[in-house]
Amino acid sequence: MLNAYFGDYITVAVFMAVGALLVAGAIFASSLIAPRRPGGFKEVVYESGIEPIGGGWNQSHIRYYVFALLFLIFDVEAIFMFPWAIRLDFFAEAGLGITVLVEMIVFVVVLVLGLLYALAKGVLRWE
Amino acid sequence: MTLTPGWFMAVAAVLFALGGAGVLLRRNALVMFMSIELMLNAVNLSFVATSKALGLVEGQVASLFVIVVAAAEVTVGLAIIVAIFHRRPSADVDELTELHG
Amino acid sequence: MIDYHALAPAAVLGLTVVAALVVDLVVRRKVWVAVVSLVGLFGAFVPLLTLAFCEPLLGCASTTRELFGGSYVVDGYALVLGAVFLATAFVAVLLSVDYIESDRYYEGEYFFLLLAAALGGVVMASARDFVTLIVALELVSGPGFLLAGWRKADERSNEAALKFFISGVLALALLVFGVSLVYGLTGTQLFAELAAVDPDVAELPLFSLGLLFVLVGFGFKVSAVPFHFWTPDTYQGAPTPVTAWLAVGSKTAGFVGLLSVVFLAFPQLRHVWGPMVWVVAAASMIVGNVVAIKQDHIVRLLGYSSIAHAGFILAPIAAMAGAPAEALPLAFYAAVAYLLVYAVMNLGAFGVAVAGIAKVGSGKLSSWRGLFRHSPSLAVMMAIFFFSLAGIPPLAGWFAKLAMFQAAVGADNPWGLSIAVVAVLNSVVAIYYYAKPVVAAFFEEAPAELQLAEAGAASSPAMRLALGLAVVGVLVLGVVPGVVAVLGRYTTSLLTLGG
Repeated sequence: MLNAYFGDYITVAVFMAVGALLVAGAIFASSLIAPRRPGGFKEVVYESGIEPIGGGWNQSHIRYYVFALLFLIFDVEAIFMFPWAIRLDFFAEAGLGITVLVEMIVFVVVLVLGLLYALAKGVLRWE
Repeated sequence: MTLTPGWFMAVAAVLFALGGAGVLLRRNALVMFMSIELMLNAVNLSFVATSKALGLVEGQVASLFVIVVAAAEVTVGLAIIVAIFHRRPSADVDELTELHG
Repeated sequence: MIDYHALAPAAVLGLTVVAALVVDLVVRRKVWVAVVSLVGLFGAFVPLLTLAFCEPLLGCASTTRELFGGSYVVDGYALVLGAVFLATAFVAVLLSVDYIESDRYYEGEYFFLLLAAALGGVVMASARDFVTLIVALELVSGPGFLLAGWRKADERSNEAALKFFISGVLALALLVFGVSLVYGLTGTQLFAELAAVDPDVAELPLFSLGLLFVLVGFGFKVSAVPFHFWTPDTYQGAPTPVTAWLAVGSKTAGFVGLLSVVFLAFPQLRHVWGPMVWVVAAASMIVGNVVAIKQDHIVRLLGYSSIAHAGFILAPIAAMAGAPAEALPLAFYAAVAYLLVYAVMNLGAFGVAVAGIAKVGSGKLSSWRGLFRHSPSLAVMMAIFFFSLAGIPPLAGWFAKLAMFQAAVGADNPWGLSIAVVAVLNSVVAIYYYAKPVVAAFFEEAPAELQLAEAGAASSPAMRLALGLAVVGVLVLGVVPGVVAVLGRYTTSLLTLGG
């Protein structure tokens, strides 16, 4: 059993070695045959194919931070739904299915209210 | 060699100590805050490892709650730090000396 | 089935929290948000009363109700402390109404945050496992951080919020790490099961380390020395009505959690936590009182005084270090009784601070001289609350101190006797610094350059109601201490004499 366990690691090690060889070989080969013309546009920051505006250490506008925080909160609150969903069968068999469903709906409604509040306060306007 | 829960606890303790050292030694509010997050994640590791070793789920549920509480704290903390950045160029806690006595 | 009656106080308050948010969006005059908050807080009292008088009125089997496998318990302790949180939030809202409206910083979230913190307190009083306790504690603290930084453009308020935040989150990290150690060794987070844990496990050094982390976490929350450094700065920088909430509501929440942990989860480990609490209690009393002497700002003075009072509240707990299990209920009763009285008299003292700062325009004690000449009623109330804090009969403070001494001496061991001696010496020091500003307010001339504000926040109906409630509370609890005694004894019913 222990051997099978370490056997899996040998597979991983082989994969890593092959991967490293492949990358090293490609870099070595390209350094042999590629033409070299440094300078110009090549040294510009890569920004998804469009021409970059400003430097790499530009500050983002403060209003994006509210979006980030709102996303964070709603993203993280969602983790309470996973244990709930897993235990739903158990509660349904005990005849509490509807109660438990309603309680999760209450939870989601409170979250939605928070989002609506943010909307009404105008922090979600993107301009 | 197998991985016993003790090893996970050791990693958690090291992470926690690193975070604690960060809070005590660093002076930038953001970095201090990141160190505290490291401490909270050490707690999560310790919860999950012990709960797995004991064959219980309460510890894993506890770590979910710690994650959510930590996220709420991030929101509150960043709001406060942003308010400070509005007023002054740096968030160095040693420069916050309006109140003393 | 879920016992919705037991959840009703928290549920009503939760609905009020949401309602405050919605009402703020709909109405234009923001005072309505405060009205909704007050109605909601009052409404949450009703289920508390029906739960308390459930046996005679509704024919329940017992006042004690356990929910969610024992994680959330409604009993005498939860009901009395829940009422304290509701009343504290009620007075804090009253103190805030005019302050917030006269300020440039009004946002509807203010009352929302205050109510959310009160909800955390109510849940805290019922929490009987560590996860519930941590969530409740953070529900109290999180809004507190934001409220402390309410004056966004004021650097002192920023600083107050950041100091409070960093120390509060550090306390959380220490607390949950301690909990994870205890959980790892025992496999349970329920206080009832932890109290019955195998003594061999409980004697492990790692277990004591976990307990130490938990206590340090609470040390920050109740601002006990040496975890108090954030307290005076945060109290001074935060808006003063918020400080009233932080000093009373937030601190009481910390004490409720601490009492639950040491008396319900680890009563058999009192030889481990007792000495730790003894050191913290003695240090809090000495540092709080000595540093308070040279304070020249009324909020800082009350801040250090609240640190010293944290020491007094911890004293009966410290006395348990070498006490038999039979002594536990008396110490628990003393701590709860002190908390009740502390809440009433400190709300009053901070109310006077809010009104006085609005009147004389500064918290500097030098501008408070001669207060009696121009604002006699304010000066009289200042005297009442300060003498109550000093523990002078017939004001409520004396009974709290008496209960504390009884429990410390009654524990009948060197730890209890020594902490009682420290407490006596400190009570004498305390009289000096409480009396000094009161004497100055009554018998000295007001500074010539003093600019008095006309009417306004200092004498609004909400402020009068808040101060009036506090004065009545201090006088009634002082003259009829039986009220505190009955409420205090009611809470100890949850302690079994085991361990």
